[in-house]
Amino acid sequence: METRKNRQYVYIALFLLIFLVYTFRIARIQLGPVPYKKMAINNALNKITLYPSRSNIFDRKGKLMVYSTQMYDLSIFPHQITTLDTGLLCSILEIDFPRVRFLLHDATIRSNKRQKNNSFNKSATFYSNLTNGQFALLRENIYRLKGFFIESRTDRQFSTISASHALGYLGETKEPNAEIDDYYQAGDLLGITGIERYYEKQIRGIKGVKTVWQDRTYAERGVVKDTQFNYPSVAGPDVTSSLDIDLQEYGRLLLNGKRGSVVAIEPKTGEILAFINNPDYDQNTMIGKERSTTFRALLLDPQKPLYNRAVKGTYPPGSTFKTVMALIGMQEGVLNATTTHGCGGGYRLGSITVGCHAHGGPLDLRGSIRISCNSYYCQVFRDIIDNPKYGDIKLGYAALEKHLRSFGLGKQLGIDLLGESKGNIPSVGQLNRRHGERWKSSTIISLSIGQGEILLTPLQICNVAAILANRGWYYAPHLVKKIEGYADTGWDRKYKIRQFTTIHPLHFATIIDGMSDVTKPGGTANGTGIADIEICAKTGTAQNPHGKDHSIFMAFAPKDNPKIAIAVIVENGGFGATWAAPIANLMIEKYIHPELTTSKPEMEERIKTSVIK
Amino acid sequence: MDIGTFDKTNNKIDSIVVFFYVCLIFIGFISISSATSVVNQKLYNLSPIAVKQLIWIAGAFIIVLSIIFSNIVVIDYFAYGFYAIAIALNIAVLFLGKEISGAKSWFGYGGIGIQPSEFAKIATALALAKFLGTYGIRFQGFKNIFICFVIFLVPFAIILIQNDTGSALVFLAFFLVLYREGLPGFILLSAAWFLILSILRIMSEASGISSFYGYGILLGLASMIVLFFRKDKGIVKITILVAVLSSLFYTVVGTTYQQVLQPYQRDRIELILGLKEDNKGVGFNLQQSKIAIGAGEFWGRGYMQGSQTKMGFVPAQHTDFIFDTIGEEWGFVGTLIFLLIFFGMILRIVILAERQSTVFGRVFGYSLSCVLFIHLLINIGMTIGLTPVIGIPLPFVSYGGSSLWAFTLFLFIFLRVDQVRK
Repeated sequence: METRKNRQYVYIALFLLIFLVYTFRIARIQLGPVPYKKMAINNALNKITLYPSRSNIFDRKGKLMVYSTQMYDLSIFPHQITTLDTGLLCSILEIDFPRVRFLLHDATIRSNKRQKNNSFNKSATFYSNLTNGQFALLRENIYRLKGFFIESRTDRQFSTISASHALGYLGETKEPNAEIDDYYQAGDLLGITGIERYYEKQIRGIKGVKTVWQDRTYAERGVVKDTQFNYPSVAGPDVTSSLDIDLQEYGRLLLNGKRGSVVAIEPKTGEILAFINNPDYDQNTMIGKERSTTFRALLLDPQKPLYNRAVKGTYPPGSTFKTVMALIGMQEGVLNATTTHGCGGGYRLGSITVGCHAHGGPLDLRGSIRISCNSYYCQVFRDIIDNPKYGDIKLGYAALEKHLRSFGLGKQLGIDLLGESKGNIPSVGQLNRRHGERWKSSTIISLSIGQGEILLTPLQICNVAAILANRGWYYAPHLVKKIEGYADTGWDRKYKIRQFTTIHPLHFATIIDGMSDVTKPGGTANGTGIADIEICAKTGTAQNPHGKDHSIFMAFAPKDNPKIAIAVIVENGGFGATWAAPIANLMIEKYIHPELTTSKPEMEERIKTSVIK
Repeated sequence: MDIGTFDKTNNKIDSIVVFFYVCLIFIGFISISSATSVVNQKLYNLSPIAVKQLIWIAGAFIIVLSIIFSNIVVIDYFAYGFYAIAIALNIAVLFLGKEISGAKSWFGYGGIGIQPSEFAKIATALALAKFLGTYGIRFQGFKNIFICFVIFLVPFAIILIQNDTGSALVFLAFFLVLYREGLPGFILLSAAWFLILSILRIMSEASGISSFYGYGILLGLASMIVLFFRKDKGIVKITILVAVLSSLFYTVVGTTYQQVLQPYQRDRIELILGLKEDNKGVGFNLQQSKIAIGAGEFWGRGYMQGSQTKMGFVPAQHTDFIFDTIGEEWGFVGTLIFLLIFFGMILRIVILAERQSTVFGRVFGYSLSCVLFIHLLINIGMTIGLTPVIGIPLPFVSYGGSSLWAFTLFLFIFLRVDQVRK
């Protein structure tokens, strides 16, 4: 009996052994390297995104162009769904059973991906953009759909449909969009084109977060009381565009039935007053449910309604280019106001002939602009690049090219849109490749009248008009004037730098005098002028190898203290005076006298109703 | 034994055990309160379950008082009676009880349930103590040893039939008790040896290691021992016997594992042995439990701050997994203090049992100590992944009236027995 008394120590040893083993095991769990605490927090917190509304965008007079509307998504916590009233869901959403299965499967995959990324938000959108009817029905019946909840976010509504290419459309992100930053979750909206895209970071506002405790069944168990986890969304700041919506809509009306572009700039600021393309699209079909189907249809449309001609379309500037050529000639000292060149109905040089229309007598510089004499500019062009002071034609051409580039040609102007084309000003190298090393001024003579390799966007043509209006300088054209609360952030730094051309301001007077004659009797656009506004303009006809020539018109007005510079291109419109000039002049009148009805109602009526096929 | 002798006593109830008891009850209550509270709840705003636990605690207090002020020490006269009643109740529950999570082990009266298996532990301890304490009876001879085994294997079997494996396993604690009374150590040792053998065999099966290594090691060990003790014929014989039995057992375990067990059962075993990472299916509860304890780190996340337990990621967070709440909210410091208290209580009971003058008192004390130990071993072991997930409560701490009252009864009857010792 007494020997067995020692057996108590076996018990004590056993108990102590287990105590030690357990203590070490617990120490390894609690003090070891596995981040259990982080895992616990990820388990129990759910971050609910509070979507901010995107900026309202106003026109220059404060008229609302774009605003945000509330839209609703049906979202789910996939793992919370145990039983599903599929019939109810099908009848509310008007979809069939396999579709429900598909959506459920898809949302589960997205939710799992979020879990794997240790995202706090474990929900996933099941069905986006509920209609009002669906929303109302779901709100009543949501308690019958365990695991489902309604999430609100904002979408766009446009009060004008004339500015689609300037404002742009939104699209849904597919994956967290690393292209911009990691701000986005799949399904979030972001600007794809236009102002919406360029100023996306400002316009989107700041997402808010509501962090809640969530139990194993994903049921909400109260808000986390910590400001680090909870902050409200901040709506995007008010954005004021430089567009004049009345002018924009008027221009859109005039361009009806025609393919082409209108760009208007306020010369002294570089602010874009009108930015019109036709064909374009109705932005209000690019919201909510229809977004993706509309987008697909627009993408396949042979008319290319998504194509932003004003900054992506490149055209030979035709005769509008003569103004630039004249300025360069004067700057290079081969031309002055009194220089005259004869024209025998065309310019002949060996085997080359550049045709010209019938006009009387030798012309001086002013007259050459008014009449748009081709021969005159062939001569000017040769004088510039064959200038003996350079000795070599390629050096002469290089001088020309340098002047051209100072007009913002052959490079991006820096408009606040993505995908702007540079146009083309051929370099010496490009000409070498095209014509061989041994080209002469006669080889590239068509450049003198804005044909050949020279290509400009409508925006660049308009900017040339603005440079002429300013007598030698410009601001990079832009669509946004002001972003509320961003005054000191330097977002508009590049739009505050005055860019000078290489042309002396004194040289502009004669050219501008010539331009002021264009819409008067004897000018190439006679009859399209507006009585009490002195319009300085230049017509152009861009040769089109694919069909009828493009009608081009470039103008600014008034002559003194110009308020608007404008460029109009009507594709396949023939002579500049036919379509482009009336449109430009009507718009100038509309802008300078917005309160008056037009002084040329018949011209307006003709333009509005004609269709060019 | 004379009733008179029990009344003339100057001893006091053991205050150390009572102190530990009060600590555990308190820790249990605040942990239940936290585990069942809602987010951002005020401290004084008790959850309904915490309120119920408070009622159970009040009941336990009444039990304590009635034991202290009654002559309940004469309990050994009624030991067999209690045992018979407990067995009867446990059989009755098979027919009259209601099924809760697969086990038919509860009598339900409205919202309140009673689990007779909890009380069977005391009754068994009483019967065993009574039998071994009977004058002239010793843990010797086939008949007596057989009766001892029958006393605790009957309730073990009945409770197994109730499908309450956890509660049934607790009765194996009486094997441990019998060691003190003379059960040869080699029986317990060989049990441990075979357990280790099976774990090794399963581990090698699961990791695809050839069983020949196992046989090789066994053979190697046996030959070394035989070589070393070649002069002692007895040891050589035993070694050869053990080696043969072990090899047979080793084979049987391997075959059983591969051909008898269902895949999910293998999963479960491999999970416990740490051979498998599974955080979704079978291992979800274990993983969540480890996350909860691990999240406590050194100082704990703070009282009422345990999201794992509060948000229901941990299963049965106020009953079987209550230890997770302690671990998550009080950290390593808290768990260490808790383990010190609990093991302190068990060791103190061993010391008290050892100072008993009667076999009845000693056996009863060891029974209490060993039952508490097995509960602690399995309950805490499962929360930290050292033992299978078997649902048994943590005595005095887990929510529930049956467990709390039964253990209070068990503990204070023993303390009264201790108090009146000669």
